[in-house]
Amino acid sequence: MRNSFILHVLILLLITVALLFVNLFFGTITISLSDLKDGIASDIFYNIRIPKTFTAILAGGSLAISGLLMQTLFRNPLAGPYVLGVSSGAGLFVAIAMILFGGVSNYFIGKSLIGISAVTGSLLVMSLVLFISKRSRSNTTVLLVGIMISQILGAFQGLIEYMSDPAALKSFVVWGMGSVSNTSNKDIFILLPVCLIFCFATLFLSKPLNAILLNETYAQNLGINVNRLRLIIIVITAVLTGLITAFCGPIAFVGLSVPIACRLLFKTSHQLHQITYCFLIGAITLLLCDSICQILSESYALPINTITTILGSPVVIYLIFKSKTIS
Amino acid sequence: MLKVKDLNIGYAQKEILSGLNFAIGKGELIGLVGSNGIGKSTLLKTIIGSLKPLAGEITLDGKSPNSISSQELSKIISIVLTDKVGGFNLTVFDIVASGRIPYLNAFGQLKEEDVKIVNQSLETIGIKNISKSYFDELSDGQKQKVLIAKSLAQQTPVILMDEPTAFLDFESRIQLFQLLKQLVRDQQKTVIVSSHDLDVLFRNVDKVLYLKGNKDYHFETAENIKNFFK
Repeated sequence: MRNSFILHVLILLLITVALLFVNLFFGTITISLSDLKDGIASDIFYNIRIPKTFTAILAGGSLAISGLLMQTLFRNPLAGPYVLGVSSGAGLFVAIAMILFGGVSNYFIGKSLIGISAVTGSLLVMSLVLFISKRSRSNTTVLLVGIMISQILGAFQGLIEYMSDPAALKSFVVWGMGSVSNTSNKDIFILLPVCLIFCFATLFLSKPLNAILLNETYAQNLGINVNRLRLIIIVITAVLTGLITAFCGPIAFVGLSVPIACRLLFKTSHQLHQITYCFLIGAITLLLCDSICQILSESYALPINTITTILGSPVVIYLIFKSKTIS
Repeated sequence: MLKVKDLNIGYAQKEILSGLNFAIGKGELIGLVGSNGIGKSTLLKTIIGSLKPLAGEITLDGKSPNSISSQELSKIISIVLTDKVGGFNLTVFDIVASGRIPYLNAFGQLKEEDVKIVNQSLETIGIKNISKSYFDELSDGQKQKVLIAKSLAQQTPVILMDEPTAFLDFESRIQLFQLLKQLVRDQQKTVIVSSHDLDVLFRNVDKVLYLKGNKDYHFETAENIKNFFK
């Protein structure tokens, strides 16, 4: 089992590295190594391709891990940051933050304030959904309430957009489409350490996550402090989802489908393995989707949400029909 | 091994049972009986620390469960519940191996010794042949056996079982009680089993805790308790 895990990880790492090079060197223009010394190609490579590619890796990995944590916590394979409204919570708070802090001149302070607002929005929604899930033992109720919360928050966000001036409205609409192309190298300095630290920290939750897969009473009887675990999961999910939503907009599909795909592809319940697989498959998914966005349209970048949904949904539907062990 | 003194149990809004007093020694097999909703599961969940007592105290080997860490408690007492478990690619081996969680590192990796104990538990219950099957695809009776094997893998001196015979056929019920008697006799384990299967239960247990209602219970030999049902 350990050998197959190492083999799978090596294969996934190879695919990630291959796609990383594709994203860095191919797109609206093809860049060769000799172009990197100076000129427009060099500028595109260092200032656009590098942040975009690393954002895709971090966003894909982080959203997939958030989805896995939510599905494990709620013991519901249909849970995910987008479905349960956590992304919407981040979205609404980003919209508010853009109005309140849009004029902040210091780049890092401005971005950090937007990031913190997004995390706060995610945290509030995640706590609310968890509170409801404690009141109702039905998975369907929790999903429906999550969807309703998402709709309500979306409506408030729409209201803010409606009352905004044209420039702010445009930036809301572009941000709402979801993209990994809107980040700069400065943003990577914020995203990289936070995402890596929180994703890496998740590995240390492998044991309690394995226990909670049974149910909360069994987990408690196996020596797990369930309340503390719940709190840690809420914080990690809120930070990862909030931050990615703040920088990339709400990205659909990845948080829901990647954990499902990993479960179906690798047939393991061990959370140490699933966390690793989810990060890598999440990164591969967004790298691939971003490559397709670039290749399909030479003059403008297609919204990444369109591609993630069009490509991902049929794959997951196929996998669900092929396997009986999704839930 | 297990002492209960002036114990009141239930939920914040509703007291279910009160004034419970009993003591169970090492190597005793105890039956827990009573009608549906009387508080059998609530009592078992209170003993494992999943629910807080409303009043009174529980001691395990002289220690209050509140005075020891949950990690330490998980090595003393295990439970088999009727709650729904499954999904997420969980195989029979995974579920039984989860009994080793209190003994594993943060990454939850099994050592050779843990795998050996898991395999022994699977063999003891007679389900080694289905160890690679998905838990979801098993019959209810098989699922119950898997959860009992998990409890064995946890290697606790006290085992609580909430209606473990509920989904078992007659032969499996007899086998289960034979196994429990063997564990009690050979390993000096303390076992409390709740069940509605009174015939098999009365024939095998040392004592019975019969819950009749709030402040109304009996803790006596199976022979004496039988008289209440005549």
